[in-house]
Amino acid sequence: MSRVEVATVTTLVAVDPATAFDVFTGEIGEWWKSGPRYRFDPEKGGSLRFEPGVGGRLVEVHEPRTGQGFEVGRVLVWEPGARLVFEFRGRDFAPGERTEVEVRFEAEGKRTRLTLEHRGWESVAPGRPARHGYTGQAFADMIGLWWADLLVALRARAGR
Amino acid sequence: MTSARALDSTLAALADPTRRRAVDLLRQRPRRPGELAAALAVSPPVISRHLRVLRHQGLVEEERSDPRDSRVRVYRLRREPFTDLRAWLDQVEAFWAEQLGAFKAHAERRSRGKRS
Repeated sequence: MSRVEVATVTTLVAVDPATAFDVFTGEIGEWWKSGPRYRFDPEKGGSLRFEPGVGGRLVEVHEPRTGQGFEVGRVLVWEPGARLVFEFRGRDFAPGERTEVEVRFEAEGKRTRLTLEHRGWESVAPGRPARHGYTGQAFADMIGLWWADLLVALRARAGR
Repeated sequence: MTSARALDSTLAALADPTRRRAVDLLRQRPRRPGELAAALAVSPPVISRHLRVLRHQGLVEEERSDPRDSRVRVYRLRREPFTDLRAWLDQVEAFWAEQLGAFKAHAERRSRGKRS
């Protein structure tokens, strides 16, 4: 049974766990959906990049030459082929507010079962309804924009 | 209460790890305070404090399980506050399902390219 406050999504990918991890982290700039609606800062655009290892940053790069941009969060766990945990902040989060994304990579035959958990919403919301509305308005906007357009959910959710 | 505010107070009540675990246990079935205290390894005063917060935020309700004895109480989860939380998590999950779909397509395309 998944916990009540955690968003969980899983998918099965036809590559081995080591490759899945490397592509997930090393090529996030290529697979993360393109277009302003998937950007943390829709006006600046840019692509996502992981700095490898614990303490590395996940950045939406706005200046390709300098690597400057919006820091989404830091890497908390970096276990190639197995587990990745990183912070995930919206643009309007207050200092200290952060959610957490954990991705597990498990072999399932020749494929990889990838399980992603997004948690920590309770660290963002309390006591600030007026400022936030929903937790992290920019993030809500980002996902809300395409949510409205979404015709078919691709999700295969873990049993609750 | 707007649903955003309802979501906020639900999340606020869940910000405490002991309360989160209590809620997870109550999702399975209603329980007595003593049962929760034992399962969570906290003292009776501590669990009653947490249950008071959960009741104030409308996440749980208490009921008397034995009509002959008003001291026997069980706590059960209320469904309504979790509807907003679930709606929010559904959006988050749909967002990631979309991203993981893109990831899967990219990873498999790339590995096919390598083999050929």
